[in-house]
Amino acid sequence: MTPEQTGTALTEDEVLDRIRTTLAEQKVPGAETASLDATWSDLDVDSLDLVELVKTLEDEFEVTIHDEELKPIASVGDAVTLVLRLDAERGAA
Amino acid sequence: MSARDDGCALVTGGTRGIGAAVADVLRERGWKVVTLSRNGGDVQADVADPEAVERAFAEARERFGPVHVLVNNAGHRRDGLAIRMSAEEWGSVVETNLSGAFHCTRRALDDMLSARWGRIVNVSSVVAERANPGQANYAASKAGLLALTRTVAREMARKGVTCNAVLPGVIETDMTADVADGLVAAVPAGRVGQPADVAACVAFLCSEEAAYVNGAMLAVDGGLAA
Repeated sequence: MTPEQTGTALTEDEVLDRIRTTLAEQKVPGAETASLDATWSDLDVDSLDLVELVKTLEDEFEVTIHDEELKPIASVGDAVTLVLRLDAERGAA
Repeated sequence: MSARDDGCALVTGGTRGIGAAVADVLRERGWKVVTLSRNGGDVQADVADPEAVERAFAEARERFGPVHVLVNNAGHRRDGLAIRMSAEEWGSVVETNLSGAFHCTRRALDDMLSARWGRIVNVSSVVAERANPGQANYAASKAGLLALTRTVAREMARKGVTCNAVLPGVIETDMTADVADGLVAAVPAGRVGQPADVAACVAFLCSEEAAYVNGAMLAVDGGLAA
């Protein structure tokens, strides 16, 4: 079930899974087992891969990720934290 | 079969001249074609206005599906010698011919990235590479399109998106009606081209078969630039 169907807040695992799947679809080596600590540099994720990932996360989780929020995001864990924060803000709004 | 069932082909300036011929050929190839123009067309926008472009693409997406093919063909001329050319004459041509192509490309790439497939063809001109006095603004805009083409080609190549340019020579359209006769003597083929000559090349660049053609500049000019 999607988050909209459940109406509950996202979990870290849900977001991590989606990031792994998306990066795997983008043919990023090691994406399926990427840890929260893995940086874009470790994974060889470039700026275009990141744009694609952001677009998928925005569509999937119905959040908007602005460019300035994206700049400090350097790892899988950073991205998970950002999505969870945006989801919580949306829920609180 | 090159058309994809779930997407559409958007042709700017698609109601007249080369654009209309491109729309016809892509329709024959099975594409759902969306023509975009300032007046008429399936969706309306002045391509120089980024907000209008965004609205037109949203409408196209809603009515016809994601944009998988984009032909940046909208353009106009305001000829005059550089020494007498006003800033307004310069700006209006560059804004439509070059910035307009960028605004449309910007919107289309979102859909193409999601599909991991896309074809962009920019309609440049022989004057991008061969000077024609009186067309500083037009030539600069069309040369800029070549740089835009190459850059987008490099940026998107890994994602199944290609970006190429055609460089028409003297083509018989409303836009060249006042100059075609005077220029024909310079054309090695000894005749002006027809919109269909250009459209056939554009259709090829939009096809599945052209997947490995990227960042190419295809002259369609009867040998004028040779």
